[in-house]
Amino acid sequence: MKPMTKENAIDIDNSLHINNEMTKPDVTSMKIPADQVKIKAEDVRVRYGDKEALFGINLDIPKSKVTSFIGPSGCGKSTFLRCINRMNDTIDNCSVSGQIHMDGVDILSKQVDTVLLRAKIGMVFQKPNPFPKSIYDNVAYGPRLHGLATSKSEMDEVVETSLEKVGLLKEVKDRLLEPGTGLSGGQQQRLCIARAIAVDPEILLMDEPCSALDPIATAKIEELIDELRGSYTIVIVTHSMQQAARVSQQTAFFHLGNLVEYGETEQIFTSPEDERTKGYITGRFG
Amino acid sequence: MQTTIFTFTVLLLALIGYYMGRSRAVSTVGGDIRKLHSLPRHYGYFVAIWCGVPALVLCVLWTLFEPQIVNSLVLSGVSSLDPDASSAVVSRVLSDIKFLALNGTGRGADDPSMIAAAAHYSHLKSVGTASLAVAVIAFSIIGLVIGRRRIGAELKARNQVEDIIRLVLLASSIVAILTTIGIVASLLFEAIRFFGKVPFTDFLFGLEWSPQIALRKDQVASQGSFGAVPIFAGTLLISFIAMCVAVPVGLLSAIYMSEYATPKVRAFGKPMLEILAGIPTVVYGFFAALVVAPHIRNIGDSWGIDVSSESALAAGLVMGVMIIPFVSSLSDDVIRAVPQSLRDGSYALGGTKSETVLNVILPAALPGIVGGVMLAISRAIGETMIVVMAAGLTANLTANPLQAVTTATVQMVTLLVGDQEFDSPKTLAAFALGLVLFCVTLCLNVVALRVVAKYREKYD
Repeated sequence: MKPMTKENAIDIDNSLHINNEMTKPDVTSMKIPADQVKIKAEDVRVRYGDKEALFGINLDIPKSKVTSFIGPSGCGKSTFLRCINRMNDTIDNCSVSGQIHMDGVDILSKQVDTVLLRAKIGMVFQKPNPFPKSIYDNVAYGPRLHGLATSKSEMDEVVETSLEKVGLLKEVKDRLLEPGTGLSGGQQQRLCIARAIAVDPEILLMDEPCSALDPIATAKIEELIDELRGSYTIVIVTHSMQQAARVSQQTAFFHLGNLVEYGETEQIFTSPEDERTKGYITGRFG
Repeated sequence: MQTTIFTFTVLLLALIGYYMGRSRAVSTVGGDIRKLHSLPRHYGYFVAIWCGVPALVLCVLWTLFEPQIVNSLVLSGVSSLDPDASSAVVSRVLSDIKFLALNGTGRGADDPSMIAAAAHYSHLKSVGTASLAVAVIAFSIIGLVIGRRRIGAELKARNQVEDIIRLVLLASSIVAILTTIGIVASLLFEAIRFFGKVPFTDFLFGLEWSPQIALRKDQVASQGSFGAVPIFAGTLLISFIAMCVAVPVGLLSAIYMSEYATPKVRAFGKPMLEILAGIPTVVYGFFAALVVAPHIRNIGDSWGIDVSSESALAAGLVMGVMIIPFVSSLSDDVIRAVPQSLRDGSYALGGTKSETVLNVILPAALPGIVGGVMLAISRAIGETMIVVMAAGLTANLTANPLQAVTTATVQMVTLLVGDQEFDSPKTLAAFALGLVLFCVTLCLNVVALRVVAKYREKYD
């Protein structure tokens, strides 16, 4: 994080203060037609023990588009992303409140089975994390858990189409039984994407998927995200504003646990309405 | 006693040397210590080392070799001693001489050559001590002077002190390694002596073990038999039973502690489990012999099964309980070393906790777990106290855990406890057993450590 100037630090503190006092936070947010909304978050609050991480997020994510979350480190964008597939459940002292509707169902409610939910919402992590198994078994892991293939040939097909979709098939066709950990970083990350789409999810969450990769591998992943956009709703957290500008149609700017501004990517990057967004995008802080 | 006084004197001189070296170094540059190559204290250490180390080395060498030199000088004067006498006789004569020198009376007091030898001994002792005192103090003072004279602004005292420190550390590790080699060598030599009396193949493949050696020719059982197969079979049987208890319980509790338990439960449960490791094995031993074994026999009786009161099962079960914390804490470490990102990857695909443990965490941690289990096996094989108290002494060749069997460690204890002739195969057999045991545990440990090391490479 670059050091903040004194003026805007005070400015941000003030606005944070106001946000907490007002019932409806001052968010510049866009309206998405109701029939295109895939995920609708209402007043999502997250706290880790005593520390509050998200102060009431309201956000609509459209279907079959790429939505990116940007903001300085610790602003809560990854925390919000992990709310969508309930990954925060695995953290002991984390508590989430509010509602996230996906196709009309509140996925934060206790009745929702996280196993089925996560089958519908795939996730790709910051660092490639292939299992210490063969490439084949990595991709087949999800389908096996959910019983998606009844025969060996069906499983072969699932694995092949998943690898094909991420453009990895021709690179690894001859070594499907070799360990997935032996691939290069970029290949590993594409393997992880293949693993996520093998269970045929509706949504793909990506938590800084390129931050551990070199520029060439990054370009490949970005290209892939663009190709996958038609079939999946993609939400991507990124530190690179260029990446957000390149791959996403909507951009949300988070700051200090608040959603500051959310709109069309082009609008956010060319004419942000909020001073803080402008400051972050032009590199004055963050 | 004298050696202690000398050591203190040398240390005192070294301390003086330290301050002398320091002040001399400072004075050579007229108080501007930036002109010195090293810090003043390095010059102090430099002089202290010159003063102390040669003198202390002399002290140590003297303590090591003085008795031998004095003894040979004294013995050469004893005319009544046959030059080809056995070592036992020589040592007897020597102790007589020492007794005479100390008390003025005793065996050999009527033999003039013995009295002369005793006087010679006392004389040598006092001369030796005096000359040692002179030599040591002279060494340290000469060292002090040489060290102090060498001090100048250009002397690289820091580097020299570092070199000395490296040598001291090296010497310490050499001592540790030499001790190990010495122990193995003594094991090896005694075992070779044993194999001189009992053929190697008889020992390794013989099916009967009864290490009775007759003291007189006409005694019953004049011929002992040294077939070690029943002993190693017993060792393996008990270790196997122990591992059957320790591996599942230890591994499952490690999985619970690392994956399922809340931090509070873990903070309480893990130390509780590790208390098991702190119980002395003797306590486990009488727990096995007095509680578990009778219990098993009672249960057996009520089912109409004949159970020996010193069954392999009792010893094995208790040994397994003893090894649980060993397995669980090693497994816990490797399971916790599996990166969180792998768990996240599995959860994000909709894996449940148990599916994640079974399909991702255990395969990833398997090499480490195998390593831990192998270390536990070598621990079980070498365990002594429990089996001495709870397993039997009779060498049965059986796979029935309800019968009494014996283990290599138990046999070694019984062979060596009490008054024993040191050159009979009965006593030497203990060394042969020890050698085989050592080889087995060594192999297990080497393989286990390799496996563990290989596993570590993967995630670091």
